[in-house]
Amino acid sequence: MIKNRKLELITLVAVIGFILVFLSVSAGGTHEFAGSDNVGSQKIAELTGQPVDSFAPLIPQWQPPSGEIEACLFALQAAFGGVILGLVFGYWLGQRKSTSTP
Amino acid sequence: MHIMEGFLPWQWCIVWWLVALPFLIMGILELRAMMKKDREYLPLLGVCGAFIFILSALKLPSVTGSCSHPTGTGLSTMCFGVFITSIIGAIVLLFQALVLAHGGLSVLGANMVSMAIGGPIAGYAIYRLLKNTSVNIYITVFIVAAVADIVTYIITSLELALAFPAQTGGIIASFTAFFVIFAITQIPLAIVEGCVLALVFKYVIELKPEMIIRLKVFSEEQIAKARMNSDSLPGTEMKS
Repeated sequence: MIKNRKLELITLVAVIGFILVFLSVSAGGTHEFAGSDNVGSQKIAELTGQPVDSFAPLIPQWQPPSGEIEACLFALQAAFGGVILGLVFGYWLGQRKSTSTP
Repeated sequence: MHIMEGFLPWQWCIVWWLVALPFLIMGILELRAMMKKDREYLPLLGVCGAFIFILSALKLPSVTGSCSHPTGTGLSTMCFGVFITSIIGAIVLLFQALVLAHGGLSVLGANMVSMAIGGPIAGYAIYRLLKNTSVNIYITVFIVAAVADIVTYIITSLELALAFPAQTGGIIASFTAFFVIFAITQIPLAIVEGCVLALVFKYVIELKPEMIIRLKVFSEEQIAKARMNSDSLPGTEMKS
């Protein structure tokens, strides 16, 4: 069986390249690595001349009380996706195996 | 790419909600029709949706010294079209608005137009353009995913520029400013996202080529050609 792993290799190279770029950017100068959402919000404040705090939610909304809780919820979101992904690919793989060897 | 709650004037919130609504309605109708007709596509829908969930939860650092997240909408757009993708995107955005305070209910319309509708439309246009050419299907997937990702951020920049034109230079100056924040940050992420989704697509056509053919995502010859070049797992030979 000939294994062709070209696409896996390309993806690996892209990910490693991405990490190298990150390392070189974070090594030089001070970067906060704040979310671009927040950077965007600051830009709005700059353009309108109003401080960021003056923008109150139009519809009241629940805020995660801390960064830890936010991280937990984000992890939960990703985990949910991961579970579905594993489930479906596992199901397909099992289906293939059982139809090919009756 | 979220516009934060409260940062968009209410007039614009309404405008973007009105733009988004027809897509959501069409999406629900298409989804219901698909559920009634053929439930065999549900696992594939699950995979596409799962990727939007995973990728939009990953906030990655980028060249500009800020963090942003990929969108993952390209795969679903190719397999199921813009309308169904807009529903999945809307679910993710609703989750993030309600429990993570990323985005919010009033700006949900604007965020849906950028991530769940605008990005997928651009991706779909590219897909239709490349579909019947001799371009390798993995390259097509790569470009579609990357374009859907980047365009999402371009539209966010546009939405903000329209709402907040700069005092000097107007909408264009303001668009450039937001574009630098959002879209430049996004370029490396879009490249990685494109690679990852192309890889996932490879596994899908290894395991379920007939599903991709029946959905008419790509033709049988294109799939056969792509499979010939890749390794085939035992028991995954294509059934005729």
